[in-house]
Amino acid sequence: MATLEVRGLYKTFFPGTPDEVRALRGLDFSIEPGSFVVVIGTNGSGKSTTLNAVAGTFLADAGSITLAGHNITRWPEHRRARFIGRVFQDPLAGTSPTLSIAENFALASQRGQPRRLGLAVTRRRIAEFREHVRPLGMRLEDRLDNPIGSLSGGQRQALTLLMATFRKPELLLLDEHTAALDPRSAEQVIRLTDEIVRSQQLTTMMVTHSMAHAASLGDRLVMVHQGRLILDVTGAEKRRLRPHDLLEKFEELRRSDQLDETAAQLIRASYV
Amino acid sequence: MTLLLGSWTIGLILALLALGVFISFRIFSFADLTADGSLTLGAAVAAALIARGYNPWLATSLAVVAGSLAGGLSGLLQTRFQINGLLSGILVATALYSVNLHVMGRSNVPLLDARTVNSDLQGVVQKVSGKVESVQLLGSSVRVSDLVNLGAILLLVCLTAWLLHLFFKTSLGTAMRATGDNPRMIRALGVDVGRMITLGLMMSNGLVALSGAMLAQYQGFADVQMGIGMVVLGLASVILGQALVGRGGIGLSICGAIMGSLLFRLMIALALRAGLDPNDLKLITAVFVLLALVLPRAFQLRVKPAPAGRL
Ligand SMILES: Nc1ncnc2c1ncn2[C@@H]1O[C@H](COP(=O)(O)OP(=O)(O)OP(=O)(O)O)[C@@H](O)[C@H]1O
Ligand SMILES: [Mg+2]
Repeated sequence: MATLEVRGLYKTFFPGTPDEVRALRGLDFSIEPGSFVVVIGTNGSGKSTTLNAVAGTFLADAGSITLAGHNITRWPEHRRARFIGRVFQDPLAGTSPTLSIAENFALASQRGQPRRLGLAVTRRRIAEFREHVRPLGMRLEDRLDNPIGSLSGGQRQALTLLMATFRKPELLLLDEHTAALDPRSAEQVIRLTDEIVRSQQLTTMMVTHSMAHAASLGDRLVMVHQGRLILDVTGAEKRRLRPHDLLEKFEELRRSDQLDETAAQLIRASYV
Repeated sequence: MTLLLGSWTIGLILALLALGVFISFRIFSFADLTADGSLTLGAAVAAALIARGYNPWLATSLAVVAGSLAGGLSGLLQTRFQINGLLSGILVATALYSVNLHVMGRSNVPLLDARTVNSDLQGVVQKVSGKVESVQLLGSSVRVSDLVNLGAILLLVCLTAWLLHLFFKTSLGTAMRATGDNPRMIRALGVDVGRMITLGLMMSNGLVALSGAMLAQYQGFADVQMGIGMVVLGLASVILGQALVGRGGIGLSICGAIMGSLLFRLMIALALRAGLDPNDLKLITAVFVLLALVLPRAFQLRVKPAPAGRL
């Protein structure tokens, strides 16, 4: 059974106003357990909206979402968090700045669980958190008491990723989670992502604007355009995929009229 | 000396108010105006029950319950019905004005010879110490009853602060702090932000009502007007406290709010003694809060964050 099943999803922002945006227009896909899906598409094509719809940032206008065997279509965001780990594009979005590293981890270790009156950070858990951050090689294991707001964006994003996967999520959602980092930190976080996803065999959706990452990471590549999937590459074909193959794919799509010329140009501009 | 004891006692009673305001203002970063109403509500419930001969300890507890219900209502308006936080506070505080009049039955309930928490404690101390009326302290004569009042409220404030500190170290309390810090993050970790804010406002207004109940018993009456300006007073204490202790951990911030309340009360006592017109008190408090909010911002250099790079 698929981990995630999205059927006929529609979402229109500001319906019936001049600002109306039809962000999702019959989105249809499913993801097998353990699959690492890379999501690409032009600016405004609906990638983030797709991830947000799955995470429950808003409720869809029509369609259904099934995750880990539960129909979560009408579930509020905090209830879906039981199954979903998330990392946002903004490195500041995933952590609580005035709380310490240890406290942030304590919050993440209870993702989707009821919060009770037990002590959040105990000595035993500190030891556990320490072992968890040590492999980062950022010396954060000695700074667990520091407020997380005192760390750099790259460090915070790496921690957010560790936090999102501390309790194994059924689905990991990464929305351009390295786009706001400097190139070195971005590479570091991407390597960490690949390591964690592989070792825990996490079902993952990762949005990226990097052609290199789109080609080298994951076992499946999908392209969102005007709120629908228009390209889906899996298996051996995905493994063989090189950046210039992607360009050919775009060309094919253009010829078959699924992409108009301006969109094709936009894609080339943002991925090459 | 008596003046000092009196202003400290009131300062400590209002430290409970400051702790309540601390939750809404420092944890959730907004001014919860419900407190103006719930302080009076606490005083009204306690006074009305005590005047009818109820046990003062029970009356005080019920005052706390009433205050947290008011806070809960304000939280629900804000989170379930998406009414702006300031507006929902004003709505509840306005409604409470009538509720308080109903609870008290008139605009002022005196508690002159009634059995209060304070008189209970004085009785206990007198049993232990015999019939001592006053003691020598730092060269001046001090009434034992004044000392008992001060000691009792000191104990209550310390206990409350300790419990509050413990709470903010629990899983629930940590989640509440993160709710104010980064709601998006805590929602993604499975916490119902609306419920967290409502719970926080219940705690906050429970504390404010406790402050009102203790104030009524200490000064010997409850008055329907006594809550006016209390939010601003609490804000002044919290802001002053932060200036004293800086941006430290949660424990330090809690101590800061208490110290802020004491210091502010002391400053007012001195100013009144120096000839300040009591009618100007609220004006001065408001100006103080305004300056405390505006001055740091005026001196801050605005640094633009570097544009986010795209790969
Ligand atoms: N919360 C929202 N309210 C209103 N409009 C929205 C909202 N979220 C997305 N949109 C609109 O929906 C469309 C799709 O946006 P989305 O963020 O999904 O694009 P994207 O593929 O993630 O683009 P990018 O590569 O720039 O991140 C855009 O036109 C956007 O303006
Ligand atoms: Mg996006």
